Amino acid sequence: MLDLIVSTLTQGFIYALLSYGVYITYKILDFPDLTVDGSFPLGAAVTALLLVNGVNPYLTLLVALAVGALAGLVTGLIHVKLGVRDLLAGIITMTALFSINLQIAGSNLSVERAIDTIFNAPPTMALFGGCSLIVRKLIVSMILALIFKVLLDLYFKTKNGLLLRAVGDNSTLVTSLAKDRGFVKILGLVISNALVALAGCVVCQEQRAFSSTMGTGQVVFGLATVIIGTTIFKKFDFVKGTTAAIVGSILYKICIQCAINLGLPANLLKLITAVLFLVILVLGNVKKGSLKKFGERLAPKTGKGR
Amino acid sequence: MKKFTKILCAALALMMICAFSACSKENKIPVIGINQYGEHPSLDNCRNGFLQGLADAGLVEGEDFTVDYQNAGFDDDIAGDIASSFSANNVALMCGIATNSAVSCYAAAEDKDIPVIFTAVSDPVQAKLDSGNITGTSDKLPVEAQLDLIRSIQPDAKTIGIIYTTSEPNSVSTIADYQANAADYGFTIDAIGVTAQNEVTQAVDTLINRGVDCFSNLTDNTVVGVLASILEKTNDAGIPVYGSEVEQVKGGCVAAAGIDYYALGRQTGAMAAKVLKGEASASEIPYETISEYGIYINSEALAALSLELPADVAEKAVESKDA
Repeated sequence: MLDLIVSTLTQGFIYALLSYGVYITYKILDFPDLTVDGSFPLGAAVTALLLVNGVNPYLTLLVALAVGALAGLVTGLIHVKLGVRDLLAGIITMTALFSINLQIAGSNLSVERAIDTIFNAPPTMALFGGCSLIVRKLIVSMILALIFKVLLDLYFKTKNGLLLRAVGDNSTLVTSLAKDRGFVKILGLVISNALVALAGCVVCQEQRAFSSTMGTGQVVFGLATVIIGTTIFKKFDFVKGTTAAIVGSILYKICIQCAINLGLPANLLKLITAVLFLVILVLGNVKKGSLKKFGERLAPKTGKGR
Repeated sequence: MKKFTKILCAALALMMICAFSACSKENKIPVIGINQYGEHPSLDNCRNGFLQGLADAGLVEGEDFTVDYQNAGFDDDIAGDIASSFSANNVALMCGIATNSAVSCYAAAEDKDIPVIFTAVSDPVQAKLDSGNITGTSDKLPVEAQLDLIRSIQPDAKTIGIIYTTSEPNSVSTIADYQANAADYGFTIDAIGVTAQNEVTQAVDTLINRGVDCFSNLTDNTVVGVLASILEKTNDAGIPVYGSEVEQVKGGCVAAAGIDYYALGRQTGAMAAKVLKGEASASEIPYETISEYGIYINSEALAALSLELPADVAEKAVESKDA
């Protein structure tokens, strides 16, 4: 029981990294970025290759960030410099990455148990060696999720971060400030895909495998988590988007775990997951509606003329 | 913030209920978690054979073990989620059907060193499933037997067209096998790699255009999934398609030298029974490759293309048709 919660939370924290990425493009930049389906397995492919060749697992985190950034840069350049529509720019990069990922990893690639990952390499063992592997996975993924949450929150407060938010909300303002909208968009895509590839890297270390099809559906996952997260926190302005992304990601994974553990026919898994999402979203909305009515009752509407 | 806490509590409570309902049925009977990559006839045969293999060893479902069967719908993420759920629920043994599920199971089993039994994995060495607390059966195809079969049915054939999915490791390793052995039987291989199911029909058109003498299928999940539409095109062009196992021949391929997935599953079930009874640990049992293969034919499909079956082949061939 406890194990189930621990492993679900672990999954939630790991995939929160991907949710951050989608949050930046979808929520902040208002850019439907499909690169994610390619940059996620890109991070995993590079990681699998490096781990198999004996590279330090912590170093792979940085490499994944870098290659993900590169993928975002490509989408950004295609969109901004070549004037290709946003959706199509993402599709182009994603499609190209499918081949590139296979080229990098050769084929689907497994990482043997003898190879250390970030969950059992020396520094992690020195700090949390007393815990079981399943708990270590939770601790490490939580630390990663929180580090990047804090970094992002700090970044959004900088001048550059504010500019990023402005491009999505009111891009004319950005132009009027004599800033290059295109550049800011590219920057957003770079950060977003770096995070997505990082998620791929951590998933690869946790699953000990890269599979070329592992990217399929990650955009949908990211969008669902961001929307679930932000819907729940609609009423709470002080809750940061990154927090919403973490919560959305965890809730999503809880839904899947519930569906698996309900013991219903295996083919119904996705249907049950879908129903659980709907319940969460409706719950969020109903509460909001009833809250509004409640508020109106407390403070009856007064005439316009007042 | 309170409201959020409420929702989160509700969600957590829901999860606990789910988990408890899962726990309650565990009692003390060991649970076998079956993680099947997706549903298609060969993999289903594997699973049914696996359960039969356990029954053959005298283990009774419901008394000696219970089964938690999940399929991932060909989704790697879900395969991983299923595996970690098995691990969290402390199953006694995990069974991974098809490479990606087996790899997920083995990764999740690391947490608690749960034994893993795999089946329908073409290349356990490439997938790094060959050492540790894991064993199982490989469904490596009898490629030379298949080449021999094609040669005996089509003595003048020169080129064999093969479509495979570049992301399926089983296909990639089998293609290499084909290419290494084709020359010995006087064939050349014209292989086209695809990345998705919707590219398969285009690849068929291309190969027909290039004038291949026949097609040979692998156990490629993506390609086999659209076998019917492949056969529609090849039958029009009058080109025979050879399968790689019995279900494909039933589906309309002319013939196949292939393995019986039910038998493969059964062999796997016997290994699982040993582990479950504590007779041997999974790490002590080496993985097995099925050595016997069967020749399966579909007379109707052969007749439609006016192909003759040599007497010596006909003797050992099994007619395969859906009842």
